[in-house]
Amino acid sequence: MRLDIRYRSSFTYDGFVRESQNELRACPCTDEFQQLVSYRVTCAPSAKVASYTDYWGTRVDAFGTRAPHDSLEVLAEATVDTRERPLPMGLSRPELLTDPGFLDEHAEYLERTPHADWGVEITRRAAEQTVAAGPDVVGWVLALHRLVGASLRYERGVTSVGVPVDEVLAHGHGVCQDFAHLAVSFCRSQGIPARYVSGYLFTRDETILDTEPAIDAGDDAVRVQTHAWFEAAVPGFGWFALDPTNQSAVGQRHVKIGHGRDYEDVQPLRGVFSGEAGASVIPDVEIRRLPMAEITTHQPPGRLLHERQQQQ
Amino acid sequence: MAGELFDEYDPESFFDEVFTPSGEVREHYVGLLDRLRHFTADDLARRERRRDAAFRSQGITFTVYEEDEGIERTFPMDLLPRVITAAEWKVIEAGLEQRVTALNRFLDDLYVGERAAIHDGIIPWWLVTSSDGFSREAFGVPVPLGARCLVAGIDLVRDGNGEFCVLEDNLRSPSGISYVVENRVAMTRLLPNVFTDAPVRPVDHYGRSLLGALSRVAPPAAGDTPTVVVLTPGVFNSAYFEHVFLAAHMGVELVEGRDLVVDDHVLYMRTTRGLKRVDVVYRRVDDAFLDPVTFRPDSSLGVPGLMAAARAGNVTISNAVGNGVADDKAVYAYVPQMIEYYLGERPILPNVDTYLLWEQEQRDFVLANLDRLVIKPVAEAGGYGITIGPSATEEELDKCRADICADPRNWIAQEVVSLSRHPTLVDDHLEGRHIDLRPFVLTSDTVEVIPGGLTRVAMRKGSLVVNSSQGGGSKDTWVLAPDPIQDEDPSPNATPMLEVTGDVEVTA
Repeated sequence: MRLDIRYRSSFTYDGFVRESQNELRACPCTDEFQQLVSYRVTCAPSAKVASYTDYWGTRVDAFGTRAPHDSLEVLAEATVDTRERPLPMGLSRPELLTDPGFLDEHAEYLERTPHADWGVEITRRAAEQTVAAGPDVVGWVLALHRLVGASLRYERGVTSVGVPVDEVLAHGHGVCQDFAHLAVSFCRSQGIPARYVSGYLFTRDETILDTEPAIDAGDDAVRVQTHAWFEAAVPGFGWFALDPTNQSAVGQRHVKIGHGRDYEDVQPLRGVFSGEAGASVIPDVEIRRLPMAEITTHQPPGRLLHERQQQQ
Repeated sequence: MAGELFDEYDPESFFDEVFTPSGEVREHYVGLLDRLRHFTADDLARRERRRDAAFRSQGITFTVYEEDEGIERTFPMDLLPRVITAAEWKVIEAGLEQRVTALNRFLDDLYVGERAAIHDGIIPWWLVTSSDGFSREAFGVPVPLGARCLVAGIDLVRDGNGEFCVLEDNLRSPSGISYVVENRVAMTRLLPNVFTDAPVRPVDHYGRSLLGALSRVAPPAAGDTPTVVVLTPGVFNSAYFEHVFLAAHMGVELVEGRDLVVDDHVLYMRTTRGLKRVDVVYRRVDDAFLDPVTFRPDSSLGVPGLMAAARAGNVTISNAVGNGVADDKAVYAYVPQMIEYYLGERPILPNVDTYLLWEQEQRDFVLANLDRLVIKPVAEAGGYGITIGPSATEEELDKCRADICADPRNWIAQEVVSLSRHPTLVDDHLEGRHIDLRPFVLTSDTVEVIPGGLTRVAMRKGSLVVNSSQGGGSKDTWVLAPDPIQDEDPSPNATPMLEVTGDVEVTA
């Protein structure tokens, strides 16, 4: 599926600010199942954008301005081709989780992090599921994924980045970040390496539960927020992606930006400014499905077609 | 023979820097002791008071953190210098150069290289990723010449046989060099006569050496005279005196984060005549506070956008971000292997025997022998959090045992090194006190080891903890030149070999 994504963040300040410095992580990654076709970033007031690939493999666009301004808008436009992701086949024996090579490779995805700092209750609930699921890591991951769905109710606007995952569980509701952090915590508590994924979701489709509401933006286009899901490392298979908010697999409508240990590693936009003003941010994502392009063979990650456009 | 100061002195069973086990004065101390023969304890005590007054008035102080309070202290300097022979120094110098070169290679391999040492199984990847000092934000940020650790402070101790070994590496912002220089200045004023005929290698060129090294790691676009600044967290930092000292000795600006600004990924400092481009930042601000965009958003000590500017190659941050992974005390255990891997050489200076507590067998051994080992947290510097088994209470050992079991990666255990002792003035007489040595190593296109370094003294009787943050003191540290005439620093500012009188004592 070819998707056109327009990610826009507008900061509005109630006064003039200076010296704003920001990092944007909004560019769809290229991996086995999706291919970035074009990407460009523009901002107003205008600023030189310096782009790099971070530790996690995510493209970062760094920009800032010293000119006094009372609003700042950044626009990232991407075109990306997506494919269905295969589901794991066969059994994956849990003993393989403790294989020294597997542990060495995945150690950082097993640790507690600020947003995935689980306590005994999470471990206990997760253990009930894995015991019941029998000796198969795929079964464990699916059971834990369902447990997230059974534990949390989606509640728009209750954004709780910063609320400990134990409290999210106790409250019983949250937004997609909370679903993803809880899924990651459940998995790690059982020794399954898991990572947080930031991305976009094209939701105007009846096959996906409409728990992430979208406002109609015209022909075959939707307005959404950035989305989050998780991936678990299954021995013998690789990273198994699931969308706990929608209780679904991750497929063609999911566009991955990048992954990390938790939200902090792939925060879409972070920055600071100096000045006395207060700020409000309006993030806005519009996704449009384009006429189907032929996606036959996978291209290895390489230079972006429209690289020269990235700097204005 | 050694004068009345030493009448009551007992080296006991330790390796004593001044006396051989049979009570003879070691050859390289003969001249010094001879010149001190005419001093009484009162003379020295009077000079100590002058030293304290001078240090206080110059603000040569150090903050000791206790509970929630910071206590400002002068850093006491013992008046009896520590002497290292030219032959000993030659080995130390070669060992440090080798070690720091390997550590720099490792850091560059990790952050901008192929991670060859990881792929080749020299250092486990999980150990790297689980290190508090590993900075994913530094990934891909280049440092000219690969000099990620431009200033290193390597702590050396002498064991019971007098052999020098490495106790720990300090690769982030090692402090103490200002005391090295100031101690020498103080000594030449308080006891000028003790330098008579002693071919002591100078240390006061440090500012020039540091500026030279920093200039050589500037981005190529900076040209021949790059602009260097010292970035300090400010007056409340324990080492603020040193930050002032370094800026003054280099003749560069001392700045705080608010004095700097990034524009289009170029770093500038605000001056009365507008913005001035900065090429190299010698920063004494910790990684986490350096840039609120990349690290802690609540930090006001750093400069927003600094990391992106460094990544773009427009400014060099020195020491580089992320060096903490290589002075992690568990990674320390792998440094000998790093030396063999990167340099194909045998390590010249050995490590202290270290137990890695995530290994079941080693942990079991350590837990069973806790009362005769030293237990250290892997990421702390300054002697915080250390348990010394032989002098710990049952309660302290129990806590230690629980800490290790809760997070074995966070601790290491080492054999107690019976640190060498040095006669030290205590009230009106001399007593043996344990000492270590922190030499400073500068890396740019070459490696330079400053002769000597900071000799720290555990001022409490029997104590093995020498850290200044734990109330330790220091000694002026003399490295003797191999040849008193040829090796003299030609600089007029070099420490003078004072008053060459007839009292000849060849100590080379």
